[in-house]
Amino acid sequence: MAKFLGINRLTKLFQMVREAGGLKQAYLKLYRNDDLKIGTLVGIDKYGNKYFENPYYFYGRNRWIEFAPHVNMDYDGSMIPAEWYGWMHYKTDLPPIRDGCRPKYKWIADHSENLSGTKEAYYPYSTTPNKVEAWEPKAKKQ
Amino acid sequence: MSLTMRIFTASRNGQRLFGSHGARLLAAQRAEPKDIVEVPKGYVYVNNKELSMEFADITDRAASTMFFGELLRGFAVTLAHIFKEPATINYPFEKGPLSPRFRGEHALRRYPSGEERCIACKLCEAICPAQAITIEAEERADGSRRTTRYDIDMTKCIYCGFCQEACPVDAIVEGPNFEFSTETHEELLYNKEKLLCNGDKWESEIASNLQADHLYR
Amino acid sequence: MIRAPLVKALGALGSPTHQMASRAVRTSAMVAQTPAKAPEKIEVFVDDIPVQVVPGTTVLQAAAQIGVEIPRFCYHERLAVAGNCRMCLVEVEKSPKPVAACAMPVMKGWRIKTNSDLTRKAREGVMEFLLMNHPLDCPICDQGGECDLQDQAMAFGSDRSRFTDINYTGKRAVEDKDIGPLVKTIMTRCIHCTRCVRFASEIAGVDDLGTTGRGNDMQIGTYVEKLFLTELSGNVIDLCPVGALTNKPYSFVARPWEIRKVSSIDVLDAVGSNIVVSTRTNEVLRILPRENEDVNEEWLADKSRFACDGLKRQRLVAPMVRMPNGELQAVEWEGALIAVAKAIKAAGGQIAGISGQLADLEAQVALKDLLNRLGSEVVATEQGFIAGGTDNRANYLLNSTIAGLEEADAVLLVGTNPRYEAPLVNTRLRKAYVHNELQIASIGPKIDLSYDHENLGADAALVKDVCSGAHAFSKVLEGAKKPAIIIGADLLERADGAAIHATVAEYCKKLKKPNWNPFNVLQTNAAQVGALDVGYKAGAQTAVKAQPKVLFLLNADAGKVTREQLPKDCFVVYIGSHGDNGASIADAVLPGAAYTEKQGIYVNTEGRPQQTLPGVSPPGMAREDWKILRALSEVVGKPLPYDNLDELRNRLEDVAPHLTRLGQLEPAGDAGAAGTISKSIGGGAIDIKLKELRDYFMTDAISRASPTMAKCISAVNKQQRENEAKQSVAI
Repeated sequence: MAKFLGINRLTKLFQMVREAGGLKQAYLKLYRNDDLKIGTLVGIDKYGNKYFENPYYFYGRNRWIEFAPHVNMDYDGSMIPAEWYGWMHYKTDLPPIRDGCRPKYKWIADHSENLSGTKEAYYPYSTTPNKVEAWEPKAKKQ
Repeated sequence: MSLTMRIFTASRNGQRLFGSHGARLLAAQRAEPKDIVEVPKGYVYVNNKELSMEFADITDRAASTMFFGELLRGFAVTLAHIFKEPATINYPFEKGPLSPRFRGEHALRRYPSGEERCIACKLCEAICPAQAITIEAEERADGSRRTTRYDIDMTKCIYCGFCQEACPVDAIVEGPNFEFSTETHEELLYNKEKLLCNGDKWESEIASNLQADHLYR
Repeated sequence: MIRAPLVKALGALGSPTHQMASRAVRTSAMVAQTPAKAPEKIEVFVDDIPVQVVPGTTVLQAAAQIGVEIPRFCYHERLAVAGNCRMCLVEVEKSPKPVAACAMPVMKGWRIKTNSDLTRKAREGVMEFLLMNHPLDCPICDQGGECDLQDQAMAFGSDRSRFTDINYTGKRAVEDKDIGPLVKTIMTRCIHCTRCVRFASEIAGVDDLGTTGRGNDMQIGTYVEKLFLTELSGNVIDLCPVGALTNKPYSFVARPWEIRKVSSIDVLDAVGSNIVVSTRTNEVLRILPRENEDVNEEWLADKSRFACDGLKRQRLVAPMVRMPNGELQAVEWEGALIAVAKAIKAAGGQIAGISGQLADLEAQVALKDLLNRLGSEVVATEQGFIAGGTDNRANYLLNSTIAGLEEADAVLLVGTNPRYEAPLVNTRLRKAYVHNELQIASIGPKIDLSYDHENLGADAALVKDVCSGAHAFSKVLEGAKKPAIIIGADLLERADGAAIHATVAEYCKKLKKPNWNPFNVLQTNAAQVGALDVGYKAGAQTAVKAQPKVLFLLNADAGKVTREQLPKDCFVVYIGSHGDNGASIADAVLPGAAYTEKQGIYVNTEGRPQQTLPGVSPPGMAREDWKILRALSEVVGKPLPYDNLDELRNRLEDVAPHLTRLGQLEPAGDAGAAGTISKSIGGGAIDIKLKELRDYFMTDAISRASPTMAKCISAVNKQQRENEAKQSVAI
């Protein structure tokens, strides 16, 4: 009957607000994430991003990320590090904490978001020396 | 029928919202509209039909227009979607599924020891149908064969994946990343450093993708 | 997919040049088998096609006559037959076993099956054995893409491998040998065809390479650790069918499919070897020989092949003008041309030009025309020659021709070392020595010519002795069917050069035979013959004597002109490609194009005009030399009457019509200059500039700028130090 009247949706809403930590927090979360969802916290990566899962939602919406708080509204899709990338994209069901096959070489670099438009953006440069070496006149007029 | 159900169904077929009476009011199907021209047998006329000019139909149409019937129905559709679960995903918080074979941004890989894999055989350069790859090579101080220049013009690249197929040492791969759009053209002219840096960044995912796909190679 | 040697074999009797080639080529096997008189032809059947061949023809050659290609690794038409790779096995009907086509002469009525099951099985078996020990490192192998083994494995190998154990560790591995700075060895790839060994001993005359061990332990090498140092070492790279011997400076640089090839001419010696310049992205990557039976066969000397990295060093990339503080400073073309034009205007006709070693004919003609228009007649070559001897073309040519020297049976070398002055002339002499019983004597210092010769002594008076018929070697020369006397070009710069020249020329009139001119001058500079042909005077001193106000140095880098010899206010203009002796004394430097960057005619020592073609564009602001002169003439206000290369070539045709018939040889008459005989030959030892290998590598602006050539010299020096150390230990 509750479902019939849509009351279950209301209870879910209350639950979401409660999980978010109050009306204000819920509002802020909704403002930042464009959505208010509840799910189980699957893991937190080393950059502070939180990964959630809730199979209640349909495939494609059942895994989501809450970007690290310090980036505030400057979050970007490219902030998801390589370890979590496969899980986020439904390529694997194993989050990296449970996936033993992932390589951990010491040369693996830290993740960085797409830096285009910032000062740190990559700009191409030549990796080769000049083809032709010009002559440098040394001798003065004798 | 509960109110919510009614609102849900409004978008699917409008008549049911107003019950059987409304259906009669809205539906203008009492007389079949006629084709404008004579249609030979076996053919179907697909253009707009001539509207029925019977009095009841004319008044139905007038009433529908007068009471903003179509408009209201449109609003109802919109209203209904507020309460429905959206069909889209909420990027960048949610992501769509990708295959391990997805061909995204290029990367140059390294051996576990940290030595770059690329041996400058130039097969990728040779096979590249868009001629996006430029390689220059020479002997490194230790005598090994290495590239000095490995440039990919990502704006020429058609992401066909031939380069990674051609590579005998799995050095050049198309990684999983697709979020590398830039604000300027030149930022997409990748050089060797950038590609190696991509490899270092994405190795975890690239290795896992290759592992996932290794049986089919 | 058919590689060059195979193609050559296919076309062996197709074109007239190839017919000449196959006649000229005498492998020892052929010499032994070819009877003197024209033999009757015998009929054999290759794949049921009848073919008429002379007795002694091998199965492989018979098949090539009808265009059937038999795969081979060890066989090479310019080397002796070895028959050790077994790739050329074919089935012959009624023969119990397949025969090696390269070594087996055909018999009458033989039915050769080049594509039967047995033949295919034999090939696949041989290929399987070769690949068993060959590493699968094609991706890092420089031969990849131009490898005979790759091609033939594709064409004739089995389509599947029985070699399935990927963990097998028994593949043959051989330690790499250090045989010098030019040839890189990866001996694991070697398939023991012994082409390099045969080349070294037969063509280069250096018995350094050999084989040691047998069967699986066989190795190619120098046995004791030693560098393979010869002026022809680069050719083993071309001969090697696999990637065992590769080009060291070019290593890992490019792939054969990405390079652009331009047929050109080498200008670093006066032979005018035909070359292919491989370029990519406006960069000369390597130089390979191009076949020309009349000039270089299919060989190339090391300097010509490896000095190409000098084209990227010490380049002049912008015009420069000497500022009042004495520094050369880069300026725009306009400023440089105006500065030169001002000096020319101030000079009032007191202008001279010196053309150097690498100047092309077009620039030489343009310079001469420009100076003539400005009222000066003083144009000279940097290298000297006898005074007044330049009117008769035969005086400064190698009249016997390069290919002709192969037929000579008595040769006298006067003050020349062909081994280092013109290595490919020396290979001809060596070929004649090996196959033609050539007797060689030399006057000059004792040198190693890679074949036995008699050193008559170094005294210049010996020339007179020989030419008067008194010397013992005169008898040999006079008794010979095709005698030849070769004079070094540097010798004629001596004070008594004219007398030596005249004495020899007079004697050669006596030695002359129909269709055979025994008088030869071996030039060392690619530009010399052309310059003399278009009317340049010889010797830089001619220009110095005129004490010009403006002196043009066209590629003149030999350092024969110094500032001290010139008037204090002389304005020196250098036009050329490299910053070297010429540019450092210049007041204005106009950057020109090197030989790989311009279309220019060069005339080789036998008088054969050939043209270079541009493979890359000149670096920076550098331009083609004749265009610089043309632009300068406009600024001076005496414009030259040609705006493009065709018009300039037309002008050249007016001056010297024979120089525009590219690739063709114009026979010259008898040598001899009027009024020089009165001078007598002075005493004193005859000296040669290039005595040893270390002298060979750096002779011009390009090779002096080449790091590879510098490495060669230090390698030679190191080897010598080691030898000396060993000897002192032995003592």
